[in-house]
Amino acid sequence: MAPDPGRLRDLGQRLDQLQARQAPKRPPPSQAGIAGRFATELVAALIVGGGLGWGIDWLLGRFVLRTFPVFMIVFVVLGAAAGILNVVRAAREINAQIAAAQARSDEENGS
Amino acid sequence: MNLNPMEQFAVKPLIAEPLFALGGHPIYFTNQALLMIIVVIASSLFLTLAVKPGALVPSRAQSMAELSYEFVGNMIHSATGEDGLRFFPFVFTIFMFVLCCNFFGMIPGSFTVTSQIAVTLALALLVILTVIVTGFVKHGLGFLRLFVPKAPFGLLLLLVPIEVISFFTRPLSLSVRLFANMLAGHTMLAVFGGFVVALGAAGGILSVLSLGPMLLIIAILLLELLVAFLQAYVFAILTCIYLNEALHLHDHH
Repeated sequence: MAPDPGRLRDLGQRLDQLQARQAPKRPPPSQAGIAGRFATELVAALIVGGGLGWGIDWLLGRFVLRTFPVFMIVFVVLGAAAGILNVVRAAREINAQIAAAQARSDEENGS
Repeated sequence: MNLNPMEQFAVKPLIAEPLFALGGHPIYFTNQALLMIIVVIASSLFLTLAVKPGALVPSRAQSMAELSYEFVGNMIHSATGEDGLRFFPFVFTIFMFVLCCNFFGMIPGSFTVTSQIAVTLALALLVILTVIVTGFVKHGLGFLRLFVPKAPFGLLLLLVPIEVISFFTRPLSLSVRLFANMLAGHTMLAVFGGFVVALGAAGGILSVLSLGPMLLIIAILLLELLVAFLQAYVFAILTCIYLNEALHLHDHH
């Protein structure tokens, strides 16, 4: 039995619609997940900042002059700022996810 | 009876003799290495053998393999667009490796490779290295614009180091998230397991009470199965998001 092209196209369209509705979307994270995320972002930025500053101090101390701990202190402060920037970005991202999930559930209730 | 909940995370050499020395450090064949080899062999074998028949109506194993393939493909496509699909092998490998490590870790008595920060950090560094190389190959030195937000020159002196630190935070937060989730979940399971044993050994009415933590373990076990999948997914989608930034720079602003 040869498949009817019209029906096949129709089936394809319906499949596409279904798939678009079920496309993998990130589920909004739980409260504990959000808290953990913010905590790691803050601490990680401090560690990376401190590490970078320490590395610069080490390089300068090795080849130019002993600056320890000037750069480490400066970069820990910058790291704190970067941590806050990360948290703001993470919060924006999570807000977008929650809004997307909200829109999806509205659509499902509406239709 | 060993009730130490952290005991399960101990990395032990399986062969007493070191395999070889690397820069003066002896390299042992550990339980962690064994588990990683098992995971790689098992997942490769499963994925190749499952799709071998190539049946139009797939068997259960074949549809599992095809579903995971499509799942990752859709994820990359939605996060990075068409040109991100070149990284499909990379992202798929990372996803399957983390997923299988998490699931093999759920088998009682085995070892959770992803609960070691050495492993997760190595994976995250691999991801960030790929992102940096991709960025420089695609945009040349223009990739450095990623670190320069729109701001007056005076502020840039302050903002560029902050952006650089923020960028290098990624491998750390990526690896810490995976490692902390696996560590916390498995420790919790072991702690409640310890409660069951201790209460059961106490005798009398206390032995009956040991049913409480037992039921909790079942609930946590189910939750852990979800976490095992979710963390592999988070790891993979964040890889895609970082790759997207390297591919398209400031498009998302």
